[in-house]
Amino acid sequence: MKLLKSYKLMSLAVVLCLVLVSGCKNKHSYISKAKFKGNHNIIITFAGEVDTAWARDAKNYGIYAKPDPDIQLKISKIIPGPDKKTVDLYFTDELNQNQPHILTVKNIRSNGKDIGSAVVEVKKLYFGFLFSILIGAFLIHNFVFTKYLGLCVFFGTSQKKTTAVGMGITFMLVMVASAMMSWAFYQFILKPFHLDFLQIVVFIGLVSLSVQAVDTVLRKINPALFKAFGVYLVLVIANCVILAVPLIIANNEYNAAESFMLSLGAGAGFLLALFLMSSVREKLELANVPVTYRGLPIAFIVAGLFALAFMGFSGMVIF
Amino acid sequence: MPATTKTNFQLVINGILKENPIFRLALSMCPAVGISTTMMNGLMLGIAVLFVQIFSSCTISLVKDYIHPRIRIPTYTLVIATWVTVIDLTLAALAPVAYKQMGIFIKLIVAFAIITMRLEVFACKNTLWPSFWDGVGMGGGFLFGMLTLGFVRELLGAGQLFGYDVLGFRPLLFFALPVAGFFCVGFLMAAFNYIEIVYNKRKKAVN
Amino acid sequence: MKEIIRITLGLTIACLIAGLIMGGVFTATERAKEHNEYLDIRATMTGMLGFNAAHPAPANLRFYSLYRYIIDDKGNKSIGYVLPLRKEKKISYALVIIGLDGKFKGIFDLNISKDKVSKVEERKTALNAVLKPPTIFTYADSTIIAKTGPKLLAYLLPGEFSGFKSIIKVMLALNSKFTITGLEIMEDEEDPGLGAEISQDYFKNQFDDKSLQRIKTLKVVKQPLPADYRKYLEKSKWEKGEFTKAEIDKIRNKYKDHNICALTGATITSKAMTRGIKGMVTKFAYRIRILDNALKQDKAPVAF
Repeated sequence: MKLLKSYKLMSLAVVLCLVLVSGCKNKHSYISKAKFKGNHNIIITFAGEVDTAWARDAKNYGIYAKPDPDIQLKISKIIPGPDKKTVDLYFTDELNQNQPHILTVKNIRSNGKDIGSAVVEVKKLYFGFLFSILIGAFLIHNFVFTKYLGLCVFFGTSQKKTTAVGMGITFMLVMVASAMMSWAFYQFILKPFHLDFLQIVVFIGLVSLSVQAVDTVLRKINPALFKAFGVYLVLVIANCVILAVPLIIANNEYNAAESFMLSLGAGAGFLLALFLMSSVREKLELANVPVTYRGLPIAFIVAGLFALAFMGFSGMVIF
Repeated sequence: MPATTKTNFQLVINGILKENPIFRLALSMCPAVGISTTMMNGLMLGIAVLFVQIFSSCTISLVKDYIHPRIRIPTYTLVIATWVTVIDLTLAALAPVAYKQMGIFIKLIVAFAIITMRLEVFACKNTLWPSFWDGVGMGGGFLFGMLTLGFVRELLGAGQLFGYDVLGFRPLLFFALPVAGFFCVGFLMAAFNYIEIVYNKRKKAVN
Repeated sequence: MKEIIRITLGLTIACLIAGLIMGGVFTATERAKEHNEYLDIRATMTGMLGFNAAHPAPANLRFYSLYRYIIDDKGNKSIGYVLPLRKEKKISYALVIIGLDGKFKGIFDLNISKDKVSKVEERKTALNAVLKPPTIFTYADSTIIAKTGPKLLAYLLPGEFSGFKSIIKVMLALNSKFTITGLEIMEDEEDPGLGAEISQDYFKNQFDDKSLQRIKTLKVVKQPLPADYRKYLEKSKWEKGEFTKAEIDKIRNKYKDHNICALTGATITSKAMTRGIKGMVTKFAYRIRILDNALKQDKAPVAF
């Protein structure tokens, strides 16, 4: 249990660091904040008061979406705020909030004086993006119920709650460890040397390595824990998900933070699936199931029902 | 388990019916649920798995004496991974249309429990020829399972077989969705169970 | 100790052999794979231009590829186009740089051949020889211009945008006035029977004959397709002599300014498609005009 707590603290600390790092990008000496307010609207908050006449002139603003620097977006109207520190910019075309936008504010006039120009990036919080990857892997693209991976192990260990939870936690740990190693390997060894075709072998090799490492570490540090979870370690290798996550990371070229979020979400999603399934299966043991359906067939049908329920999450967009 | 006493033919039938990987051993469900939407998909993946199984079984049965017991599993994984990569690259070059649809699942063949299990249980204890036939049986069983699933799902979901309109309308779109894979496998497994029970009853009655 | 050495040695040898086998197969099949991809795209493009077994493409049909890059020189951004020049009947490639204000900035010859220019890595090497650091360049998109002799047949735009589940890759065909003449869905991961219906004729053919002006204000409406419109759209199901030319023209004119009728149960996908295509066409029309003006300023001997 202690080991689990320390892992929880570690992940919390990592998440906090990410928040701090990602929040630092929007500062500029004249502009304290610039963010999307709606589909057609950006709101700028200045560090001090700005002249209303200057604020109303559309020529003082230039904005484009980062991938299209040659296309300036047309401003349809400007509404300065009553406190003289905020300006609401409305655009004719819909803003693609998924792309960062570069906003140039020229010749800022404050109290009659020209204090210079500023360039800021307007974008959705990066932490929001990371969080959406996490929730995506956990619920929306749940690896068991929506992507149908890892089913063999899933059906094998979901008969009792204790086995299920044990398998889930072990899997989550190995998942995060091996996904981070695979990311590092891919970025620093496979890509620079054009060895992409060795992806499969390398990733599965790293998984075996992680399993072996966790096995040895657990044996030494906490023999009691090893007795409880050790047997599941071998099964982790046969899990399709453990290979699918590094492949997705390589395909989408995620960076370290995004890979971490994806692997955490995948592991947590698997744990969730196992927990739900085992709860139902324990009850099924006591129910009156027809002879031909006993065991796996009814488990499959239950899984199908869960998959139908999880389909309700598809297309969900947070942030 | 000592070397097998079954004849080659019995090995093949064993793989397809008695120890069918999908319906009886409950291995390699991921593709069974996810890809069996059409018969063509099932056929392509089934053939790929058949080849990987045959090649891996043969390779392991040839080198079984040189493998140190402690590194059995990594070696199996290595052999399977090599063959999967070879087949992946070859398919991409020779059959790009089929390859587009099978994408990530080909790469995942490495993690298919069925192949590793078969190597562990059979190929490392038998010589080349029986291993070859066992591979044929297991791969064939997988192919058979995928085709059956694909048949049911394509017919009921899209009213087509192999892309050809058979019914002219769509009975239940539900079956074309990946979710239905769970239900179909469940029902077919129950069907196989039923067949086995009836078969055993008959055998008992005869004896 | 001996055991560990034996084990490590065994594993290393096995890995080496495996690596060699895979490397060998890779080099052997890489060419075939690329050739297949090339043929596939070629076939799609020719099909989109209206040519098939019944009307084969004329012998003078040529495709010219333009690749657009965003060049960042210490914060100063400009747009670069890798395009073909015709010098004494030979095709060579050059980089044309245009400032954000649309003014022509420079033209550099690139050391790259026709069959290599379609590969990202080869273009990168050729551009690195011309654009030295700290200048960095990023690939943006590409356009293919189809011409028969001096006549511009169509602009073919490959593009991608986010759909309901993940990215949808399309290929658009525009005529010289930027009216859509064809749309093909190259890749999508939408639900079969729901979002995946975008590749069916009755949805994707709705975008045909939409003019640039109409595309700018195009919306998605949740209405069923009128019966005659639907029949007209499903071109592959027409029986011989079902529509006379007059009838085809009549239906086309009746519906060419109609909004896009959404797919049943796939409104988000339909909206994503309309939004994505709108963006692609309007941005392309804007950019190609700027490129034409800039090329006129320099009078570069472009091949198209």
